[in-house]
Amino acid sequence: MPHDWEASRMRTGATLVGSSKVDRVPYFPLACEEMICRISGKTLRELTSSPKAYANAAIMTYEYLKADTVAIPTAYAGPAEALAFAEVNKKEEVTKWFDYKVFMVEQGAVCKTLEDIEKLEIPDHSKVQMWDTCLSAAKLVGEKTKFRPSCALGIWSVVQELRGVEAYRDMRRNPDLLLKLCEKVYESQMDVYNFYNEKIGFSPTIFFTGYAFNKHMMSFEDAMKYEGDFIKRIQKETSARIVLHNCGTTPYFDEVCSEIDLLAINGSHPLDIEYWVDFREKHPNVAIIGANIDVSRELFNGTPLDVENKVKENIMHLAAEGRYMVGPICCLPWGVSMENIMTIPKAIKKWGTYPLNLE
Amino acid sequence: MDESEILGKLRKAIISGIPEDATELVHEALEAGVDSKLILNNAVIQGAETVGLKYEEGEFFLGDMLLAADAINNCIDAIKLKLKDATHLTLGKVLIGTPEGDLHSIGKSLVIALLQGQGFEVIDLGVDVPPEKFLEAAKKENVDIIGISGLLTMTISKMTETVVLLKRKGIKAKIILGGGILSEESCRQIGADGWAKDGWEGVKLIKKLMGVS
Repeated sequence: MPHDWEASRMRTGATLVGSSKVDRVPYFPLACEEMICRISGKTLRELTSSPKAYANAAIMTYEYLKADTVAIPTAYAGPAEALAFAEVNKKEEVTKWFDYKVFMVEQGAVCKTLEDIEKLEIPDHSKVQMWDTCLSAAKLVGEKTKFRPSCALGIWSVVQELRGVEAYRDMRRNPDLLLKLCEKVYESQMDVYNFYNEKIGFSPTIFFTGYAFNKHMMSFEDAMKYEGDFIKRIQKETSARIVLHNCGTTPYFDEVCSEIDLLAINGSHPLDIEYWVDFREKHPNVAIIGANIDVSRELFNGTPLDVENKVKENIMHLAAEGRYMVGPICCLPWGVSMENIMTIPKAIKKWGTYPLNLE
Repeated sequence: MDESEILGKLRKAIISGIPEDATELVHEALEAGVDSKLILNNAVIQGAETVGLKYEEGEFFLGDMLLAADAINNCIDAIKLKLKDATHLTLGKVLIGTPEGDLHSIGKSLVIALLQGQGFEVIDLGVDVPPEKFLEAAKKENVDIIGISGLLTMTISKMTETVVLLKRKGIKAKIILGGGILSEESCRQIGADGWAKDGWEGVKLIKKLMGVS
């Protein structure tokens, strides 16, 4: 049976806004380049050789996984943004390519010195081939499936790529300069957003990688200063709703919801389901994507029954009133058995079809 | 300044994460004839303990830890320069790198700074280290601990491959894995000797595995 993207679009949209007209809990996997390579059998260079090749492989992958969402994973505030900065600042040599996973930029190599930050050029994404290919692919995905991938932005994820561990020293010793770097990243992210809008159309939601919101990395005050305040500015400028992703082990999900109006949060920690139940009670209008399904646990080491039980646990505790999507965190890696991965959509169908019957 | 005043200021410089002040104060202490062991025990180690405690209590974060570690490293370097035999300052030898395919160095850099600050000798293999390179270095360097620090879920397989290779080839050093992508349970299943979710936990785990208080 062909994948019904229209149904997926309705399902995810209705779930995010808390509508009762949802047939079942949606499935929101993060299938990164590695998984697309695995399913399509193509290398990353082959995928990114043309928008059509990438779009078709992404659709094939997400359909194979029986997902209710689809993405061109490279188009986010991670390695591709670091690559764009590396290119425009003439430091292409710091990018390393791999066959079956995303390329990476050596952390901290683009902004090695304070002078590098002062002189950092902002990329024009329409002139960066990788971004043009990825957003063209996203456009094709939208045309073929009628399910448009969200625009994906972030601040601290990019700062870490550009400045590396020095960013944490700067936080104490050169806070003004660090803020200047954040400003430049913000400017670049707005360029991504505008390029997305120009190429694909208005993105009503932004998938935001909020890596600053992690308790063992920085205080909440600093997380707001170096990322949260920029999210507020993005919201003001774009009117888009934010889905906040953080795959760290100690996220500030609860705290951030008191400061920023979020549509949804996407994470897998803490692993205690009670945290998530409590979060749901405190923030009933914020959708939860994920909860405590972490890929390095049941998916990596468990049996299909373990995976099913984990999916069931999450649905049982969080899906009754809607606003919940199953989504293992973080990216589905190469080493996880396909049997375990494919247990997720089966378990959702079994336990997550409304009205829920979890006996 | 008398001895206790210098040591108090040195402790404060470490806790406040001001490496330049720490260097100056440790030189001042040595020039004033303060015994190097006293500097280590009453200022450097006490300062490091306070920093660790503040991190555990959520008062300090990564930036504070890094700068404190820089200050501690400066102190140890300065003390080593004064001593003919500084071997007693070395608690053990640690080999560290990120797994093949992972270029994320922040976690590794933090662990290295903290370990050096605690008196460990660290051999940094860098990022994107293939299993064979870990093996080669482990054989050559005769290390006590091998640490593999990863950020990406996609590198769990490579971490597993590295641990299996090291164990299969009879490497006796304890192998620990770091990063939130793993857990105690997954580390056990992979065959590693321990797991640390962050840099500070890593240092504590290494000290525990080596029986260092």
